Amino acid sequence: MKNLLARTRLDRRDFLSASAAAMSVAATGVVPKVAFGAEKTVKIGFLAPLTGAVAAWGKPGLDGCQIWADWVNDAGGIKVGDDSYKVEFISYDNEYDPGKARAGAAKLIKEDGVKFIMMLGGDTWPGVQPIAENEGMLVSTLLPSDLTPNTKTLIAPCEVHPIYNVTGVEWLAANKPDAKKAVICAQDDALGKPSVATYLAAFEAAGIEVVDDPLFFDPATTDFAPVMTRLLSTNPDILCLDTCYADYVHPLCEQAFQQGFKGTIISCTADFYPKIVEKTSKEFMEGFIFQFPDFDDPALNQPGVNFPKPNEFYAEYAKRYGEAEWGAVSWEYASIMDLWADAAGKAGSVEPADVLKAMKEGGTGKHAFGDAKWWGTELFGIDNALVGNWPVVVIENGKAVIKEFRSIPDWWDKHKDLMVKHMTALGQMWNQRG
Amino acid sequence: MSDLILQTIVNAVYAASYMSLIAVGLVLIFGVMGVINFAHGELYMAGAYVVVALYAESGMPFLVAVVLGLVFVGLLGLLMEISLFRPLRDNPLGGLIASIGFLLILQTTAVLGFGVRMAHIPPPTQEKIELLNGVVLTHQRLLVIIASVALLSLLYLFLHRTKYGWAMRACAQDREAAALQGISLSQVSRLAMFIGAGLAGVAGALTAPLVSPTPYMGHSVIVTAFIIIIVGGIGQLEGAIVAAILYAFVHTFVTTFFDGVIADITGLLLMLMVLVIKPTGLFGAKDRV
Amino acid sequence: MSRGKVNPWLWVAGIVLLATLIALPFGLSFSQREVAVLLVINVLLVSSYRLMTLTGEWSLGHVVIMGVGAYASALFSKRLGVPVPISMLLGAVTAGAVAALLSFPLFRMKGFYFLIGSFAAGEVIRLIWKYFTNPFGGPKGLKLIPGFPDIGPISFFEPLPYYYLCLIVVGMSLFFLYRIERSRIGLTFHAIHWQDKLAESVGVNTFSYRMLAFVLASTFAGLCGALYVHYIGTINPNRFDVEEMVFVLIWAIVGGTATFYGPILGVVVLTVINEVILRALGFDTARPMIYGFILIASVLFLPNGLESLVPKLQAWRTSRRTAPEGTPASEEKA
Repeated sequence: MKNLLARTRLDRRDFLSASAAAMSVAATGVVPKVAFGAEKTVKIGFLAPLTGAVAAWGKPGLDGCQIWADWVNDAGGIKVGDDSYKVEFISYDNEYDPGKARAGAAKLIKEDGVKFIMMLGGDTWPGVQPIAENEGMLVSTLLPSDLTPNTKTLIAPCEVHPIYNVTGVEWLAANKPDAKKAVICAQDDALGKPSVATYLAAFEAAGIEVVDDPLFFDPATTDFAPVMTRLLSTNPDILCLDTCYADYVHPLCEQAFQQGFKGTIISCTADFYPKIVEKTSKEFMEGFIFQFPDFDDPALNQPGVNFPKPNEFYAEYAKRYGEAEWGAVSWEYASIMDLWADAAGKAGSVEPADVLKAMKEGGTGKHAFGDAKWWGTELFGIDNALVGNWPVVVIENGKAVIKEFRSIPDWWDKHKDLMVKHMTALGQMWNQRG
Repeated sequence: MSDLILQTIVNAVYAASYMSLIAVGLVLIFGVMGVINFAHGELYMAGAYVVVALYAESGMPFLVAVVLGLVFVGLLGLLMEISLFRPLRDNPLGGLIASIGFLLILQTTAVLGFGVRMAHIPPPTQEKIELLNGVVLTHQRLLVIIASVALLSLLYLFLHRTKYGWAMRACAQDREAAALQGISLSQVSRLAMFIGAGLAGVAGALTAPLVSPTPYMGHSVIVTAFIIIIVGGIGQLEGAIVAAILYAFVHTFVTTFFDGVIADITGLLLMLMVLVIKPTGLFGAKDRV
Repeated sequence: MSRGKVNPWLWVAGIVLLATLIALPFGLSFSQREVAVLLVINVLLVSSYRLMTLTGEWSLGHVVIMGVGAYASALFSKRLGVPVPISMLLGAVTAGAVAALLSFPLFRMKGFYFLIGSFAAGEVIRLIWKYFTNPFGGPKGLKLIPGFPDIGPISFFEPLPYYYLCLIVVGMSLFFLYRIERSRIGLTFHAIHWQDKLAESVGVNTFSYRMLAFVLASTFAGLCGALYVHYIGTINPNRFDVEEMVFVLIWAIVGGTATFYGPILGVVVLTVINEVILRALGFDTARPMIYGFILIASVLFLPNGLESLVPKLQAWRTSRRTAPEGTPASEEKA
């Protein structure tokens, strides 16, 4: 009964907006269109874990989106065709559970009428997949390993985890040619394994020998002394922390410091790295290589970078939530929104199918770190990942500095066989998954 | 190779000491009150967050924060006993559910107060002892080892040399009989809950600078603590300590010489073997059920 | 305990309930229907759990056993191409068979040791799923699991048809569980719970009855897993961890396990509070805390579970109709 009522109400609203549009057409030239257009709102779903152990990958992203929405709405909304739309985010806590994610997707699509859903992905995506397909809903993920040939409406427009890690290894090989022996450790989960395959391929391509089998540990590990003892037992020059979460990177670095490691550390992320410096020393952390810049980095103001006002975004984020809260996902969902808003403007529509078409038009898109191409068939079975440049970030004198933007496709063209070989060995190719 | 083994022994001794603190607290609570405290991991988490609040954010000396961590979490335990376990004394499953409720409250409080992400604690000291060439024991870890040994020795003396300790052991053996002897169950339960929770809290406080405190860190220790108390025999204090040492050594050595996932499997297999061969645990009585 | 004679009031309530259940989805929003599907599955899960507890043993492995049914049914249909309705039954049978195997080590233990032993066994099964990527998919689990086949124009991907499908399957299962409890077998379960030595002395093989209860409960738990997996289309080992088990335990205890309807009451009320009311009130981050308070309040103030309210309600109704008299609730507690 309630559902029926809800539907009639929706119909009435549609009717009202339709008549408003008709009136604006009738009144063309007399009344400024914006006066009508400003009333419109487009709703965007945010379907990610907001509570529970994985919340750190969702909540800070929602915070970043709030800044994005405030800025866009204060500027009058986004221009789509003749209308201006205010953007409203509707969040649903999926607790990283596929069943709850499914219920959440149903609510966002059928009841809230969202036009686009942003997800963390991973375990929760397969629960959403059938409903997204049935409804033709455009969904974004941070984990391109969710992509398969069937996921036509799923895009990975920001993070191409873990492929961008090759840029760090390439930079390392070019700048520290004496470092020849590496070891890897990773948590045994859906993020750790494909990342290990990527690093193995990148090291092999760079002529760096991986001297020990990758060491996997359980995600519930808290004491990393034994892990580090094992890693350092082969006296490596390079310590690769793979895509370890911040909860692991910090104690791992602390242990590497205490157990006397002297070489170079390379890692996918280094969230809250000033705290690692505090736990170890500036000298120890000098030359630490990772992939996620602070957005106050002046290098982000280079002409090629598409993320708008990165330094201001960082300052606002730090002001609202504290500098210590800044992390890898803080900007990512917001950058996906830039891409979406741009595509909606191009399409002149907020409907998922139109936006997706406009987004992928010409096979290229404006990725946060520079223009990029839609890619992925060889690795994911579908060209729905936006791949271009990615920054290599190095800690210098206790501060993360972007050393350069390196092209992922260039690496891929030269070494894709290695990548496919290692991905296959660890069972991470799209046709091996699930 | 010998330095690798020695370093692994050092790592294992550290792991054994903080795990003992947690497991002994859990066993004490179960022994005296017959309740499985599911919130034990969250008490450990609360201890870590006391150090976050007092030492990292307010600049108190680390050791003072640790002592206050023990007291604060002990008081949390007291609160649990007075508000939950006493009214539910005849309902052990009710106590279990109430402790799960308490767990959720503690977790959410930490999320609301400190955020979902890991908290940061500057190292109280970076000094270390070089035992052999390349084998190190940091002062921070040494402190955990010394504090654990000291606290557990104190607990032993308390249990064996004082009237209250004697009463507590009597309750752990047979509550009804103890009550008939004129022992106040309420008093003993309060004391056991304070000590048991305090031990978990102090373990969290001591190790806080060495791990990454998050509101959900309790999960990772509770399963380990369960394995330890099963291996040692549920309700057996000495058993818990021996099992913690055994588990820590097995887990640390397997992690170092194989990997962390195989170490977890080994730990579980150890528990299963004990359950099949001697369900009451290595130190368990014949049948307490 | 009013065993043997059928309480007519229950029958009336049952018919009213059935009508409500059939009409229910029409009063729900789309996402609430999704929640309703999962709720109906959980009703069977917690009811099957209760059958197990009749013999006095509390298991911490029930959700893992549900997972066994889910994994088995998913693999039968996905890898071997078995039609989904048949694979669901096979999944349930597999769960029962695994339980039968586990009986031998587990029923050497009793009470608290059984609780912990079942937890250990469950963890081992979960590690097997995690460790053997082929065929279980490792930590990421399985996805793109075929759904229940369409019947004519009815698509079981939609929550409404699947709700009715679950309602029929779960309803039949509940009827079966109810009949078992009222049969000689059920009486023997009770006898083992309260007087196992006495039962043994009169020639009851307590081991085989404990095993029977465990296997039956596990078979239905496996069926729940199968119903779940072909709706959601994906599973992973974390879905069946001890936290999920804790929820089943909470539903059973908050509802009360003395009566057949107690656990069902528990799962329905708590799910509505957690998934519908708290979400609607907009508590995102604070939701677990409020849930925690509700749990504590319910065990403190309703020590015999929500089910203990029913006789009180009944008494209140009769006392309104006739002259005030003693409450029949005391009989239930015996």
